[in-house]
Amino acid sequence: MSDFAAGLPIVSIVTFLPLAGAVLLVFLREGEGKAVRAVALGVSLLTFAAAIVLFSGFSGASGLPEFVERASWLGRGLDYHVGVDGISLFLVLLAAFLTPLALLAAWRAIDDRVKEFSVFMLLLETGMIGVFVSLNLFLFYVFWEAMLIPMYFLIGIWGGRRRVYATMKFVLFTMFGSLLMLVAIFVLHHAYYQATGSYSLAITDLAAAPLAPGLQTWLFLAFALAFAIKIPLFPLHTWLPDAHVEAPTAGSVLLAAVLLKMGAYGFIRLGLPLFPTAAAAFAPALSILAVVGVVYGGLMALVQKDMKSLVAYSSVSHMGLIMLAVFSLNFEATEGALYQMLNHGLSTGALFLCVGILYERTHTRLVADHGGAAARMPVFGGLFLVSMLSSAGLPGLNGFVGEILCFFGIFKANRVLAALAVSTVILSAAYLLWLYRRVMHGPLKEPGEGALRDVDRRELAYLVPLIVLMVFMGLFPGTFLRKMDASVSRHIRSLRPEPAAVSMIGKPPAASVKPGRTAESER
Amino acid sequence: MAALALAPLLAVVAGAIAALLLEAFLKRGDHELSATAAVVSLAAAAFFVVRAWPLEPASFGGRLFLDPLALLLMGVFVVVAALVLLMSLAYAPRRSINLGQLAGLLLLAVSGLMIMVSSKDWLVVFLGLEVLSVASYAMAGLRRDDPASSEAAAKYFLMGSFAGAFFVFGLALVFGTTGDLGFAAGLPGSGAPGGPPLAALVGLGLILAALLFKIAVVPFHMWAPDVYDGAPTPVTTFLTIAPKAAGLGVLIRVLTPLAARGGGALYVQALSLAAVLTMFFGNLAALRQTSVKRLLAYSAIAHSGYALIAVVAGDGPGLVFYLIAYAFMNAGAFGVLAALSGQGEEHVRLSDLAGLGRRHPWLAASLAAFMFSLAGFPPTAGFLAKFYVFSAAVAKGYVLLAVAAVLASLISVAYYLKVVVAMYMRDAEAEPVLEMENPALFLVIFLCLLGVVQLGLWPGNLLVLIRQGLAGLF
Repeated sequence: MSDFAAGLPIVSIVTFLPLAGAVLLVFLREGEGKAVRAVALGVSLLTFAAAIVLFSGFSGASGLPEFVERASWLGRGLDYHVGVDGISLFLVLLAAFLTPLALLAAWRAIDDRVKEFSVFMLLLETGMIGVFVSLNLFLFYVFWEAMLIPMYFLIGIWGGRRRVYATMKFVLFTMFGSLLMLVAIFVLHHAYYQATGSYSLAITDLAAAPLAPGLQTWLFLAFALAFAIKIPLFPLHTWLPDAHVEAPTAGSVLLAAVLLKMGAYGFIRLGLPLFPTAAAAFAPALSILAVVGVVYGGLMALVQKDMKSLVAYSSVSHMGLIMLAVFSLNFEATEGALYQMLNHGLSTGALFLCVGILYERTHTRLVADHGGAAARMPVFGGLFLVSMLSSAGLPGLNGFVGEILCFFGIFKANRVLAALAVSTVILSAAYLLWLYRRVMHGPLKEPGEGALRDVDRRELAYLVPLIVLMVFMGLFPGTFLRKMDASVSRHIRSLRPEPAAVSMIGKPPAASVKPGRTAESER
Repeated sequence: MAALALAPLLAVVAGAIAALLLEAFLKRGDHELSATAAVVSLAAAAFFVVRAWPLEPASFGGRLFLDPLALLLMGVFVVVAALVLLMSLAYAPRRSINLGQLAGLLLLAVSGLMIMVSSKDWLVVFLGLEVLSVASYAMAGLRRDDPASSEAAAKYFLMGSFAGAFFVFGLALVFGTTGDLGFAAGLPGSGAPGGPPLAALVGLGLILAALLFKIAVVPFHMWAPDVYDGAPTPVTTFLTIAPKAAGLGVLIRVLTPLAARGGGALYVQALSLAAVLTMFFGNLAALRQTSVKRLLAYSAIAHSGYALIAVVAGDGPGLVFYLIAYAFMNAGAFGVLAALSGQGEEHVRLSDLAGLGRRHPWLAASLAAFMFSLAGFPPTAGFLAKFYVFSAAVAKGYVLLAVAAVLASLISVAYYLKVVVAMYMRDAEAEPVLEMENPALFLVIFLCLLGVVQLGLWPGNLLVLIRQGLAGLF
């Protein structure tokens, strides 16, 4: 750990700085749109700076959570317990990196109720980061659910024509899964108490106390449903195109880039390690759903007329690949999935931003209404192209590294599924390049003289960092993978329960095993 | 100082008498004086509740029985009554409601509630229940110029009388077969070999039905929507919280010792079923409402169902926490409604809320917070309340009950969010509804907001206090 970060509750700072900013904004006057935007951007940039401090201080050598903070909160194991490991660190960075860019993208697009918009964006950031840093199941759930509220408002207030329908569908779908997960959390809480005589919802404690297979199955299903809806896994994806199409650009960016990752992260952090036996049993079925998602999402993306829903379906396809890798349950695939989560965040974020830029100029998202834009917007054309190639997995860019790792791992687990999943390479190249050809080349379609002006400095300011990072992550993946290695291999080891006499919770006679309570979480 | 525990009751009774007498003998239009008497007596009651804590359970004359649960519930009643009184200060003058009468009746009702929860004797509970009922009927009909209010009073009176008759008949059966009026009479394991006589079991069932009536539990809920909808808003606030708290308090006092002795499985099963029906009925019916007040009326029924789960699970601390959280979020929601309904029509429709987010950002944000809390989103009081209650159900092995409860909550999300949608996501088409700007009303809303946030994030002291206080009881 670096000296600078030592002694500061840096994880809490990263998590709650946006919240503090949101509170500050509440007391600003509504009329001062510019000041509100500047404060929101400033706070999110500060958060990103704090996240960088976190990143640079993170050693990743042990694979255990670092910068752990723990305080008792509500009693009975409902503690405030946060920290980052090699799995969560990068997702925190992703959220902290994208929020300022999204705010910048909304600079002009949102001019109604700017204050509320900025408040909700910052609240969303706290919620997203909170989900990733939580080491206590209760805290995780609180952030997981609380985060719905800002997203609900972002889609519902600043969304498109069918925004109310889309936002209600988003909330109800997500809550359906997460409420059943809540019941599963109750069961876990109680089962742990019965087995050990003490209360805990610390994730490491729960993972250290294995459950009887019968109980595992039910609990795993409840957790899996919550996560599968969030990812979204086929056939639970139907809320996603609606939410994406209706959400404002900034909302779409965070939804695709970060919120969807929560589902995949949930599987890695909770679903698999807490219920290893059930997870192994259900992995084949879930893998098949993931592959169906890969192909289905890709095919659907091919036929979309709306650019945003095209990118949304491409997300279904890409997230399918990530989940297939996660369910392969080996080191390469999991690390690839993690890397691919970051890549997907960057490239899909960039694609939504590009679609947003076009929309601001033409006020339509239909592919058919566009054409020949490259002639008028050469710089934009270049940036758009790089984003697409990153999404399609061109070697030299970040997407390639992630996909290749995923495929290595998936191939080790199941060759048939790997062969089917490779179709994503062809499909994504097809729908993306076809989109590019239709929108950027061909006869010029311009709604009015000079409407298609090239990107300005503000737009460059949020696109260029993304592009730079795509190239950097494509050329120097080691910078990131190094910090993941130890945590990912710990994760993989945790999925193979030691066969020796572990007594199991929920299986009579009541077990008396005392798992190493805080040994893992506090160092 | 166990006698101190009687002081809150005495303070409230004295206040009720003073307010009603002042109202009767002073010249007309001088309602502030009786309202002041009510405020003073509530403040005194609150003071005594705090001073009497912590309390060793004590019996008075074999009839009254005071323990920490009684004291905690008394505290809830006092807080709710204070909020209602504050709300009425703004509301009554504009609706030609006699504030002095309202204050007196309110205190009378509170004294009935206090009697109900501080006894282990059916006769005393009945006494309290009747005091409460008579005062409630009158309060529901205080808006004499409003047919809906009169209808509410008449309906409440008729149905309430039935419930009262059930209670008496049940009491007669229990007393007739066992010769005892205590809670333990006629319960399995309490005496005669071979279990209690059938008539006593039936009698107890009738008594429980009368209590469920007050709590507005399906299938004894028929009166509730119309009464909650028709009564003046501050009275509705009171009726949706306080009688429920008392009824649930009595139920848990009866059933928990019973369950501890391994009996009463039938009652617990019946209550589980009633809880499920109540949650689903309340939430499904609320989905279809267009009037905000009626929506909240059905939501109040649904919340009876959630709270009943705490009784089924025998979770006293969870029940008390739930009731406190519910008091704040519900009173807050009705407070905003009172502020919105202004001088005119009582029925604020969902469409009347359109654009409220722009016109009154703070009022809208408060109502949104109450809705999120009622729906059970973290980090609000409503979430923690549900968390504890449902989790207690799971710990007792009622997993399916918890699943039903969360599914019912999911339905409720749909209509609570409809209110938020109306405020923030629709633009006003017509002239907005009239609004009432009143510091007392805003104070109520602010206090409730504070409660909802505080109890959602740092309930620390209160939670510890409740758990410690009730540690020996459950």
